[in-house]
Amino acid sequence: MQRRILGLALAAVTVAGVAGCGSSDSASSAASPAGDGKTTQVTVGVIPIVDVAPLYLGQKRGFFGSRGIELKMVTAQGGAAIIPGVVSGQFQFGFSNTTSLMLAQTKGVPVKSVVNGAASNGKVGADVTAVLVKKDSSIKSAKDLAGHTVAVNTLQNIGDTTVRESVRKDGGDPAEVKFVEIPFDQMPAALDGGRVDAAWMGEPAQTIAKAQGARAVASPFAETDPNLTVATYFTSTKIAQQNPDLVKKFNEAMTESLKYASEHPDEARQILTTYTKISGDVLTKLTLPNWPAQVDTASLEKLAGLGEQDGIFGGKKPDIGALFS
Amino acid sequence: MVVRGLAGLAGLLAVLEVLPRTPLVSADYLPPASTIGRAFWHLLGEGTFWSALGDTLTGWGTGLAIAVLAGVAAGVVIGSVPVLRAATASTIEFLRPIPSVALIPVAVLLYGTDLRSKLLLVVYASFWQVLVQVLAGLQDADPVAQDTARSYRLGTWGRIRYVLWPTALPYVMTGVRLAATVALVLAVTAELVIGAPGLGQQLAVAQTSGAVPEVYALVLTTGLIGVAVNLAARAVEHRVLHWHQSQRGESQAR
Repeated sequence: MQRRILGLALAAVTVAGVAGCGSSDSASSAASPAGDGKTTQVTVGVIPIVDVAPLYLGQKRGFFGSRGIELKMVTAQGGAAIIPGVVSGQFQFGFSNTTSLMLAQTKGVPVKSVVNGAASNGKVGADVTAVLVKKDSSIKSAKDLAGHTVAVNTLQNIGDTTVRESVRKDGGDPAEVKFVEIPFDQMPAALDGGRVDAAWMGEPAQTIAKAQGARAVASPFAETDPNLTVATYFTSTKIAQQNPDLVKKFNEAMTESLKYASEHPDEARQILTTYTKISGDVLTKLTLPNWPAQVDTASLEKLAGLGEQDGIFGGKKPDIGALFS
Repeated sequence: MVVRGLAGLAGLLAVLEVLPRTPLVSADYLPPASTIGRAFWHLLGEGTFWSALGDTLTGWGTGLAIAVLAGVAAGVVIGSVPVLRAATASTIEFLRPIPSVALIPVAVLLYGTDLRSKLLLVVYASFWQVLVQVLAGLQDADPVAQDTARSYRLGTWGRIRYVLWPTALPYVMTGVRLAATVALVLAVTAELVIGAPGLGQQLAVAQTSGAVPEVYALVLTTGLIGVAVNLAARAVEHRVLHWHQSQRGESQAR
């Protein structure tokens, strides 16, 4: 019996050793710099949502491969894991909403946006995000949100900032809106169960809630700015300085991908089935964002101004030129 | 015993099948058991499911093996040297209650989302389970037996081998069994929160996609693995401790 335990222990040590070697190998290859003509493995931290469809589509179409970039997507639950991952060098690039990037910059986190990600489609009533209420709610338009509870996925971020703007533009008092934090996917249930009076949802939560009878009362992105740049791909300032060639190639491939996705919305919709579990009715009905190749600086200035007004940058002012140039 | 257990399970399934069809809960958030079953069947046909299962089991198994080896080694060293035991007691009591999930930000900064992040959490959580049991087991050694061993001039290794280890082994096995379950919890948590590949990550994707039946099907899968892990740990325990009185009674009854 003693011998058997020893054997078991030896086997376990061997397994642990092999696994250890395997993981260190992959780490060193991921960090290798972009060589001429050689393939560089690039890890991108993304959230598995509709907005990143062009990245997956571009990979499938070979826009990255033709530039010597071998993409590896890592899906995180939210920006919380993506920004630290990029800064620490685990990911070369990451996907994040623009308010989060401004927040990071004002906190001294060394990030730099490198190419556009997704934008509002500008259609009030049919944008990528909406504030939804129950069918029989007394809330008829954005100004009625004052005095009510609105769910957002993250407090002090792009959601509450743009919802306040919708309320303001509609003639309501944005200070009277109470925000609570609930993940997007739990919002349809929270709204249905009456836990909140309204909820600011992205896709596919929005489409799911609408199928249950929820009604849109505001389109915060489109109402803030019809060309609002919602999210971009970013890297660390370290990579931006040390590896401008890789950043340039990623920018070119991504630009081509954004263009392709804009011209082939059906393919963009279809690629969702490869990295999400969205299917059936929701897949065919969900609203796509706009995927322009360039960020809209004016809209970002506006977004930064709203964030400052809400005091989310701690009295600092984001440097849009330095962050998004 | 088995029949009654199965009857209980069948009852639960029946309730799950009927409940969503009543106005009490919405089928949108709790689909009937048959819908979950179909989603589960569908999952079994997907390649991504099997590779996710493999990732989860790799993280669990590797993490558990490291934790058990390190826990036993550290436990035997600390537990057989009284000075070390006294010196480390407060440190162990300080580190042990730190929830492994609190290390998630550290894991992300150090290793991103790869296997090592998962291992950090799994090993940290299950290591203490083993270490504390080994220490308790060594402390339980009969002082008379120890004195006897000393008077027969058994060396340190001899005393560990013939006196301390046989006493500690039942405790060690309990530690391993607890660690096996904890390791699974932490492996799935790491995947769910950090996004390391595995069933937890699939669960997160299904959740963000609003694919409710898949969410339940994946939860069911992790539950089944939990049952399997527990059964396997008990079987190993039974074999390793077949000579111990706690297991002998059961053998005779068979």
